[in-house]
Amino acid sequence: MEGASYQRFPKVKIRELRDDYAKFELHDTDVSMANALRRVMIAEVPTIAIDLVEIEVNSSVLNDEFIAHRLGLIPLTSERAMSMRFSRDCDACDGDGQCEFCSVEFHLRAKCHSDQTLDVSSKDLYSSDHTVVPVDFSDSAAAAGEALDTKGIIIVKLRRGQELRLRAIARKGIGKDHAKWSPAATVTFMYEPSIHINEDLMETLTLEEKTSWVESSPTKVFELDPVTHQVLVVDPEAYTYDDEVIKKAEAMGKAGLVDITAKEDSFIFTVESTGAIKASQLILNAIDILKQKLDAVRLSDDTVEADDQFGELGAHMRGG
Amino acid sequence: MVVKFSENQDYEALRELFRHHIESYDHLVDAGLETLMNSIKPVEIYDSFTDRKLRIWLGKTEFYPPQKERNLRTMREALLPSECRQAKISYTGKLMADVCFQYDEKAVIREKFNFGQFPVMLKSKLCHLRGLDPKKLVSYKEEASEMGGYFIMNGLERVVRLLIAPKRNYPMSMVRNSFADRREGYTDKAVVIRCVREDQSSVTVKLYYLRNGSARLGFWVKGKEYLLPIGVVLKALIDTTDHEIFASLTSCYSDKHEKGKGAVGTQLVGERAKIILDEVRDLALFDHRQCLEHIGQHFQPVMEGMEKEKMSTIADAVFKNYIFVHLDNNYDKFNLLIFMAQKLFSLIDQTSVPDNPDSLQNQDVLLPGQLITIYMKEKLEDWLQKVKKLLQDELSDSSKNFDFCSLADVKKVMDKNPSKQISSAIDNLLKTGRLVTQTGLDLQQRAGFTVQAERLNFLRFISHFRAVHRGASFAGLRTTTVRKLLPESWGFLCPVHTPDGEPCGLLNHLTSTCRITSYFNSQGKVRDFFKIRASILSVLIAVGMIPSLPKLVQMGPPDVLNVILDGRIVGYISSGEVEKVVAHLRQLKVLSPHVIPEDLEVGYVPLSICGAYPGLFLFTSPSRFVRPVRNLSISSEENQNIELIGPFEQVFMEIRCPDGGDGGRKDEFPATHEEIHPTGMLSVVGNLTPWSDHNQSPRNMYQCQMAKQTMAFSLQAIQFRADQKLYHLQTPQTPIVRTSTYMKYNIDEYPTGTNAIVAVLAYTGYDMEDAMILNKSSVERGMYHGQIYQTETIDLSEQSSRSSRSQKLFRRSNIDKSVRSHIDSDGLPYVGQMIKPDEPYCSIYDEVAGTTRNMKLKGSEPVFVDYVSVDVKNKKHPQKVNIRFRHPRNPVIGDKFSSRHGQKGVCSQLWPDVDMPFSGATGMRPDLIINPHAFPSRMTIAMLMESVAAKGGCLNGEFINATPFKSSVKKRNAGDEESKTESLVDELGSTLVKKGFNYHGVEVLYSGVYGTELTCEIFIGPVYYQRLRHMVSDKYQVRSTGTVDQVTRQPIKGRKKGGGIRFGEMERDSMLAHGASYLLHDRLHTCSDHHIADVCSLCGSILTSTLVQPQKRAVREIGGLPPGKAPKRVICHACKTSKGMETVAMPYVFKYLAAELAAMNIRMTLQLSNAAGA
Repeated sequence: MEGASYQRFPKVKIRELRDDYAKFELHDTDVSMANALRRVMIAEVPTIAIDLVEIEVNSSVLNDEFIAHRLGLIPLTSERAMSMRFSRDCDACDGDGQCEFCSVEFHLRAKCHSDQTLDVSSKDLYSSDHTVVPVDFSDSAAAAGEALDTKGIIIVKLRRGQELRLRAIARKGIGKDHAKWSPAATVTFMYEPSIHINEDLMETLTLEEKTSWVESSPTKVFELDPVTHQVLVVDPEAYTYDDEVIKKAEAMGKAGLVDITAKEDSFIFTVESTGAIKASQLILNAIDILKQKLDAVRLSDDTVEADDQFGELGAHMRGG
Repeated sequence: MVVKFSENQDYEALRELFRHHIESYDHLVDAGLETLMNSIKPVEIYDSFTDRKLRIWLGKTEFYPPQKERNLRTMREALLPSECRQAKISYTGKLMADVCFQYDEKAVIREKFNFGQFPVMLKSKLCHLRGLDPKKLVSYKEEASEMGGYFIMNGLERVVRLLIAPKRNYPMSMVRNSFADRREGYTDKAVVIRCVREDQSSVTVKLYYLRNGSARLGFWVKGKEYLLPIGVVLKALIDTTDHEIFASLTSCYSDKHEKGKGAVGTQLVGERAKIILDEVRDLALFDHRQCLEHIGQHFQPVMEGMEKEKMSTIADAVFKNYIFVHLDNNYDKFNLLIFMAQKLFSLIDQTSVPDNPDSLQNQDVLLPGQLITIYMKEKLEDWLQKVKKLLQDELSDSSKNFDFCSLADVKKVMDKNPSKQISSAIDNLLKTGRLVTQTGLDLQQRAGFTVQAERLNFLRFISHFRAVHRGASFAGLRTTTVRKLLPESWGFLCPVHTPDGEPCGLLNHLTSTCRITSYFNSQGKVRDFFKIRASILSVLIAVGMIPSLPKLVQMGPPDVLNVILDGRIVGYISSGEVEKVVAHLRQLKVLSPHVIPEDLEVGYVPLSICGAYPGLFLFTSPSRFVRPVRNLSISSEENQNIELIGPFEQVFMEIRCPDGGDGGRKDEFPATHEEIHPTGMLSVVGNLTPWSDHNQSPRNMYQCQMAKQTMAFSLQAIQFRADQKLYHLQTPQTPIVRTSTYMKYNIDEYPTGTNAIVAVLAYTGYDMEDAMILNKSSVERGMYHGQIYQTETIDLSEQSSRSSRSQKLFRRSNIDKSVRSHIDSDGLPYVGQMIKPDEPYCSIYDEVAGTTRNMKLKGSEPVFVDYVSVDVKNKKHPQKVNIRFRHPRNPVIGDKFSSRHGQKGVCSQLWPDVDMPFSGATGMRPDLIINPHAFPSRMTIAMLMESVAAKGGCLNGEFINATPFKSSVKKRNAGDEESKTESLVDELGSTLVKKGFNYHGVEVLYSGVYGTELTCEIFIGPVYYQRLRHMVSDKYQVRSTGTVDQVTRQPIKGRKKGGGIRFGEMERDSMLAHGASYLLHDRLHTCSDHHIADVCSLCGSILTSTLVQPQKRAVREIGGLPPGKAPKRVICHACKTSKGMETVAMPYVFKYLAAELAAMNIRMTLQLSNAAGA
């Protein structure tokens, strides 16, 4: 029973970290793990987004559903999301948005009194909770060059006499249920390539051939040293596995000029956040959730009977 | 390559597309009505008692712009089109006309008569929107680009369809079997001419060939065809000698050109001329006067109001009203008849070929203004005739004291025949598209003249105005010859834009460059055709034409060619000169349009060996097709060399493609003209397909169809509209890849789709057979979201007039509190309110009955109240309301989408974003996945190119110009800087490579589920996709149980009523073939009209059983058990016993059959195998 341990110790190496962007390497693990992380980041890390809209007055050109839909898509700062309750699990309320544990209330009142078009934007949304507010994209820019008059995300434009008044309730949710709850704009990973140029074969090429070979790659992976006329790998990660250079080498009759393999256990992740949560937090949250999910699998496996202990989670995992 | 976004707020190009509708109506208003009134013959009433004669005729007309009805005050307010649409009324203006009365020869008395409310075309001279700038239009609640050209009838926008008609004033030789059936001795050959009067009414005259060598002139008078021997007509027309007629008829033959090029006459012509003249002699008619009298005698009974005239006057009237009505001179008529006879003989002798009536060369178009004019003329004539009849009746009725000399009395009688019926007839024509006429007005059809201009999307709307129909009579024809695409229609009708299926080839669309000539010249002035013709004539005589008047030249082809101007033989030009003359005319046409109108058609039919009958046919008439081409003989500076040509002349012209090649033309036929751009042969919609020259042609046809079914941004003034149904796309985009036409016609104001990232791969199996997978997250973010706007109009005055005189008004019931959440105190719904099926949306209070009735929402889906409008006529209680509902229609499985290349598909799954394949480099997931099998057999290469181009465009932030036939246009400036002979694909590919993408537009994708690399590279890029209006929500049909038919007790049909789908014979057959008899029994019997019938086994009848009510017996209730059911007692009515009663399961229709048979005295008996009696 006791077989060899397949346990691995994945390593993460962070390359770049900004509020809404992260690039990191993930080593010593499988593609299944990498993809699971990607999927969790896109679809299962919770955020807060407007889910219920009660429109009092809407004389704008856009209809109620349209505005409600637009409101839903506005990213809200969701640091609190992990600790919040899902409305459906909330004991304090029936999920009608009256409770502070599962919902945040917003108000919007706008009326245009001038002849100039009034832009109603996410800045006009007043939150009942200062930790959950529409994401302000000007933050980074304002820090650099002060006094930038930012307008937020435009919801609707009003002309003279038009009015919009509404109450909105934001709730916690995940991207699987609706794209508005997805914290990730883009999460992608690629296998780290290992590129080996067959130097002997390369030397048989003329300078022209080398140039054309180097240029055959649409991305800048190789470079011809202008002095030594040597072909160098400058940016292996720019390689998109498009096989262009390999095809080119074959076409030139020099098959095996370069050997490109993907490292099976090494991934380069790129994460872009919508701003709802910081990219770094998104990764950590994703790992947390992944862990929870795995816990559920493990726990439910050896404690089938102890449902009361693990609640819905165990049953859910078993049930599929 | 790159298109710059320019603010083109001038909609001139768009207006050009609608111009022919508006101009034809404008002419009606400007001059048409007047000519019409003048052309109507006065009626005369004679009173024998007082011996006075009253002449009544029509005089000047006054036509007022649409105004609101206001009973009090003289202040009148303009009625705007948007108000008509909302109020569901017609956009009409008052039409007044003078009716002139004259007793004997005394002073003329003019009386104004109200001819009713006449429909006004939008943007015509009478319309309030005429000449308004976009800003003003918007303030009038119209589209900024409103083009007009339609009528508003009861709130609906109706367009008069353009119809193909035989070319006016051109004698066409025809071969038709029906001619031979006319009478004994007739052949199948004839020469036919459709003559059009100045007032636009037309009369068709046919010249039939008889087997004996003579000919008969046929024309219709009052629904009956009259046939006259040609000789009689010739003699009666002018006072001439037999010799002269003989010489004229045989002038086309001379023995020196036996069978040379261009000889149309043969020796037989002389023989025939003799026969013709002999025929006249046989009738004992020797001179002009006798012939006239002969004709007069024949036509006296049918010529109304001429009973007392002289015979010769009657004959003159016949000539004037029925024979060659476009000519007013008998000499011209004589010459034309001679020409027709020569053409007929040439057809018989096979020295010329028959003209093809299906070819555009011999066709004109019927415009809205013309249709209305001729219909109105008939109605006015009828009205006058009726007036006359009424007055005469009144005169003959001596019991009444009717004073003929008192105008007041006359007018009183005339009131019995209200003059307002004229407008209401036109009104009716536009509303229903039906003509109510005795004569047929020389038109081929009686119905289908107007259609509703649907605003489903902008392209569909435009197409209504650019469509030309061949005629309803051709739709039923089993032959397909009329549907063929003929080369003559090149450049005028779009070969791509015709629907497939039933109306294929009959409903065509004008090309984007095609125009239709009108009564207005380029300065917008009404043309004086008399002056124009005189000017043309003087030019012709100056260049050497021998005029035909005063005397006909006794010569014919090939020496000289007839010159025919608008159906009048004006002279002869020697065949050596003619080409020079033609070139000269064309020069003048372009350079000095005041001498020769710019749209003159110079139809030079050259001499040929047994080809088309030669001649120089000039046309100045309106409602011809014209299109611009370059005249190469004129220097091309500043586009000064654009000549308008028609389909008649085009056939004999040498027009080359602007690709710089000779088009396979030999040196003897050098090109004289050049196309402006090859895209000129496509319609507006056809021009919008990017790179359509790279697609298989049927795909472009499909796209033209689908573009018109797209759910798009339908209207900008949508909030002021009350259309029954409007489709609206919430988040449209401008296409990255577009043609130059897209910008030219401002289609960007009404975009039709979204640039979707399309991956071409077989991913899940859910994309088989033209299914496609949409990305669920993309849809959730708003892709292809849309709604249907549906307006319910409730008119209480209409309802109350139908049933009793009860006063109804909108009011909420005070008793029923349950409706309060749905209906406001005014009885109307709250705006923005969601209403579920079967919930009330408005309350109507009946004052007489004192009851309140709630209107309940039908259908199966919840709707939102978008807008409520009420009429303001009745200030206290509105009688008419429009309630506009909004049905949200976001994409669901089963909705239909298509690219712009005839590639339609149905959404089969909304696939989770994380499960979609993603690109390793960019992390992009596709919005849409289609199957690669969609390409090989359909060969829509342009779609692949669009994907690559749009990707490049995205990366560079530019729009891509995808105008087709780019390679066929030679570089005008011959700039060698652009000598890159790069193919289009290379150009597209290299932009991608520059941005670090694959040359071919493929990318490495990773499985969204496993994270592993997909084995092959995937073609992915943005493609403009349209959402089609076919949506499952409107179409799904389910039923388990429900309503059944009253008679047969079988399930009913129809989606609306909750019916089922027919399980028919063929379905039954397949069940049988599978041996699934139990299922069959279930479908056809158990779930249908299963019935347990009581059958009397004694008499075998199933109809005689009657239920006998058992006497109520006191049955002791047993606690806990349901009350015991008394056994049913059934007796046979015939046998008076219940002994033999049995129950048999059978379809209920069987019992019905028995009843039906019984009604016919047929008795049906059943023999039961286990009957009690047996």
